[in-house]
Amino acid sequence: MPDLSPLYALLAQLLPFDCLQARFMQQAMLGLLLLAPMAAVMGIVVVNFRMAFFADAISHSAFAGVALGLIFSVDPGWTMPAFGMLVGLGIMILQRHTNLSSDTVIGVFFSAMVAFGLAIVSRDRSLARDLQRFLYGDILTISDGQILCLMVLFLALMAFQAASYNHLLYIGLNPTLAQAHRVRVAIHQYIFAGLLSLIVMFSVQAVGVLLVTAMLIVPAAAARNVARSAGSMFWWAMLVSLTSAASGLIVSAQDWARTATGATVILVACGWFLLSMIVAGLRREQAA
Amino acid sequence: MAATDVFPLYQPEPPEAAVRFESVTVERGGVSILDRVSATAPKGSCTAIIGPNGAGKTTLLLALLGEISYQGRIHIPANGGQPRIGYVPQRLTFDRGMPLTVHEFLAMGFQKKPLWFGIGRELRQRSLEALALVKAEHLAERRIGALSGGELQRVLLALALRQEPDLLVLDEPSAGVDFRGELIFCELLDSLRRTKGFTQLMVSHDLATVTHHATHVICLNRKVAAEGPPRQTLTSDNLTAIFGMHMGLVNSRSMPDNQAVCSAPCCQERPDA
Repeated sequence: MPDLSPLYALLAQLLPFDCLQARFMQQAMLGLLLLAPMAAVMGIVVVNFRMAFFADAISHSAFAGVALGLIFSVDPGWTMPAFGMLVGLGIMILQRHTNLSSDTVIGVFFSAMVAFGLAIVSRDRSLARDLQRFLYGDILTISDGQILCLMVLFLALMAFQAASYNHLLYIGLNPTLAQAHRVRVAIHQYIFAGLLSLIVMFSVQAVGVLLVTAMLIVPAAAARNVARSAGSMFWWAMLVSLTSAASGLIVSAQDWARTATGATVILVACGWFLLSMIVAGLRREQAA
Repeated sequence: MAATDVFPLYQPEPPEAAVRFESVTVERGGVSILDRVSATAPKGSCTAIIGPNGAGKTTLLLALLGEISYQGRIHIPANGGQPRIGYVPQRLTFDRGMPLTVHEFLAMGFQKKPLWFGIGRELRQRSLEALALVKAEHLAERRIGALSGGELQRVLLALALRQEPDLLVLDEPSAGVDFRGELIFCELLDSLRRTKGFTQLMVSHDLATVTHHATHVICLNRKVAAEGPPRQTLTSDNLTAIFGMHMGLVNSRSMPDNQAVCSAPCCQERPDA
């Protein structure tokens, strides 16, 4: 496994806060700085596709994924993303091949996942203690192995987005139109669903089931308010997500705050969103 | 009872086809939506598919675009490779708050580089040319969410033209546009079709549009009830058969130049149309 120490040292130099001198904080910072931009760029498409509910359903399959891993005594770190991906692709297949509205399809999956997870957990009292970890997330315990996974995912995902951002927007606008104009809709949708599932699963570990959707949606929503084009929306989402991740982690570690990291990151992002609403409102006034 | 048995089909010499539907059948949940539809859109024509609501017009278009599965065959002869289709949907349901400019909208199907880094100069130029064709250059920098129905329709047409289509498919081009806008839009399409040489295939339930602009009509009500040039096809008998009531729009005796004349206000204004 490659040594990540130089990267950590660099982080500690770039962000010279007391709290960032501890190794676990440096790991958490690196993890968040990898995760946040991925979530944000996927979030742009999620907002555009109106797929927030889809992301929610995948995140709720996290617990069932962990339960499965414990049943078959496989490391939950693997079963969770694998199961999430299965659920994501499953929803996409059903959505493409049945006449059910996507809300209905997702709703069925959603309840099945939650019920399955609860059923397994209820059999084993010791599992119930893990529940809290999934509700609130725990970025501070991220390992070097997970960070390396995130790095690989980061490269794959950014390459996919760079190649497909334009076509994903097209499909989000109107799949029939995109298909008629020779955009390969199905393959884009499946790759997107697969990658989104992975991101959601990693985000569950960082911010918890309850806040996963926020991690995806809030930067994109704030960017939407201030951006004047789809191109600049990407940069705004990057800015919002990276600054929220970094400042959220640092604030959460201060003595006067001592809050949960995931929740703090999301709160900062929501602050950005409020600011963007004000900017959009002022702009509208100017135009009127 | 099949309408084709009662009313004699007009059968001209088979012209060169741009699209040939061969016995296309679509069923959904046991209900037949299209029943052995065989029809042809001649090359270079403006073919209109007309019929009442629920006749399967849009379904036929979706089958043509490969969006739904069907039995039978849809043949689109193309000189080498895939046929190039330009599609103008009836309406675009999208998030109107989405920051997407008309420029980006026209470039996103063509540009390899992500829109994060802006739009290439050459593509900008090509988009402006397409917008000029539909007389909408002034919309280039606007957000598509801020466009009116008629403006959006022109931008959609510009996008379809950017495909350099052999076949331009329009779903209800008159929906959501006022009568005057529609007339301008149809005249624009007429002149573009002549200069660019594509085949135009449109779905419409608006007989006034059809009689003005179509050169070929397919009357559809789950089956093909009649097909041919408007003057031979849009007889009041045929129209009564497919719409199920008397339609007094077409006078089959006074139609020069293969165009029907209708009783709509535009014909009173422009008797030579």
